[in-house]
Amino acid sequence: MNVIEVTQLTKIYGKINAVDQISFNVKKGEIFGMLGPNGAGKTTTIECIIGLKKYEQGIVNVVGLNPLKDRNALYGKIGVQLQETSFQDKIKVKEICSLFESFYKNPYPYEKLIDKFGLKEKLNSYVDNLSGGQKQKLSIILALIPNPEIVFLDELTTGLDPQARQDMWKYVKELKEEGRTVFMTTHYMEEAEYLCDRICIIKKGKIIALDTVENIIISSGLETEIIFEAEQDITNLLSNELEHVSKFTRDDHKYIVYSQNDGVLGKLVYMLETKKISYKNLNIKRPTLDDTFLKLIDEKVEEA
Amino acid sequence: MNRLVNISKIEFKLLTRNFMNIFFALVFPSMMLLLFGSIYGNEPSAFYGGHNMVDVSVPGYIGLIVAVTGLMTLPLTVAQYRERKILKRFAATPINPVDILISQVIVNFIMTLLGIALLIVIGKIVFDLHFFGNLFVVTFAFILTTFSIFSVGLVIAGVSANAKAATAISYIVYFPMIFLSGAIMPMEIMPKIIVYISKVFPLTYGTELLKGVWTGGKLSSYSPDIIVLLTISIICTLLATKFFRWE
Repeated sequence: MNVIEVTQLTKIYGKINAVDQISFNVKKGEIFGMLGPNGAGKTTTIECIIGLKKYEQGIVNVVGLNPLKDRNALYGKIGVQLQETSFQDKIKVKEICSLFESFYKNPYPYEKLIDKFGLKEKLNSYVDNLSGGQKQKLSIILALIPNPEIVFLDELTTGLDPQARQDMWKYVKELKEEGRTVFMTTHYMEEAEYLCDRICIIKKGKIIALDTVENIIISSGLETEIIFEAEQDITNLLSNELEHVSKFTRDDHKYIVYSQNDGVLGKLVYMLETKKISYKNLNIKRPTLDDTFLKLIDEKVEEA
Repeated sequence: MNRLVNISKIEFKLLTRNFMNIFFALVFPSMMLLLFGSIYGNEPSAFYGGHNMVDVSVPGYIGLIVAVTGLMTLPLTVAQYRERKILKRFAATPINPVDILISQVIVNFIMTLLGIALLIVIGKIVFDLHFFGNLFVVTFAFILTTFSIFSVGLVIAGVSANAKAATAISYIVYFPMIFLSGAIMPMEIMPKIIVYISKVFPLTYGTELLKGVWTGGKLSSYSPDIIVLLTISIICTLLATKFFRWE
């Protein structure tokens, strides 16, 4: 079941199509990630979906609602964490929480959320005095007060230290376990790989990839590199007796074998063993989402 | 309605936690009263048309307080909330974002009332302040003045690109206005040229009206002031509604 349906969404700023005819669906209960370089249109897309921005063309449907028309109903069902939001000067944690609680008809009691996120000792602290990680926890708490079906997280972990980032990941996983759908944007590939069931990569307002992380890496055509050292010259063996090798390089004793086929590693090792060729420092480098992302972004630049 | 009360409660707390707001709305006007009151005393003076200096100054200082809350605190807070995307965050909740603006008007109005209360108490205790007007008439004059000055503040909040610009515009509007509108210094001592210049400031009409009705003048004698204040209120409210940006 789709909880978000975006069809041909287009948002124009002046003469620039910040979001250019993008279409995708988000299924109930999945963590959907949107990746892209700065200025690609991630935030604009989120803001169109949650009704903060008007759009020129396209249809957006969030839990069956039109975000531009059914504002009130929508904000009772979604929770949002916006990029770079700050809070009022000199406001205390419990004040901002009770303020947000008063906005909703059936709020989730904020005290429970404060407990869960370990901010109990900070209830009477000024928000200004919280650490970056604590502020982001507060942002999630505020996003969860409506007890939302869908949680929107715009660059939740940008600027956080590794420990705080790990904490956030844990909380996002828990949102999914609670049966909520998560729509997130991020700059961090390892974050997308770890959290997202499906991702979409956008560049200059257009979707250039939309699938699971694994499928996107596979379909990118990037090759696995098998690196090892051997005393013997085995160029002939590599050229003639090993299948699925797209190319290999030799630098003195060091060999790098390139292939898109995962079985090559086993066959290579089998071959070396049966021919009694001694080898060492065997290493394998699979293409990561990072590599894939950079390749996709570059390709699209060349085309343009 | 409940939401609005809630927002206003919290926003009022925040207002009182900022030293500058407390100082300019409560302390500063009372200091002016104590300072000028002790210099000139509260004896009848021909200069003030037979009225006492303090009795004429207090309604002027009321104008001063309205200018602080309406032209400084109100627009600066709203511009800051916009710049820091606080308004945007509120826009992503079921509340009507207009409630945020209304709550700012409410809390600044309450702050204004507190400033006036303090001023009157000090005036009464220290200088035996007199009130010659009709309470309803003065209340009307006060509300009209406040509405008109606050609407100017909302225009400043609406058109300024960021908090810095709002600060600059507020200072440019606020300082000449408090000194040249009769709020702090009586118009009676001003050279003719300043009196002409003062006509561009909305507050001039407010202080003239407040001083007039405070000292027993009839509303009808101040209809030009009332018309100007009403016109400013209507135009500025329309402008603010038209030009206000949430981001």
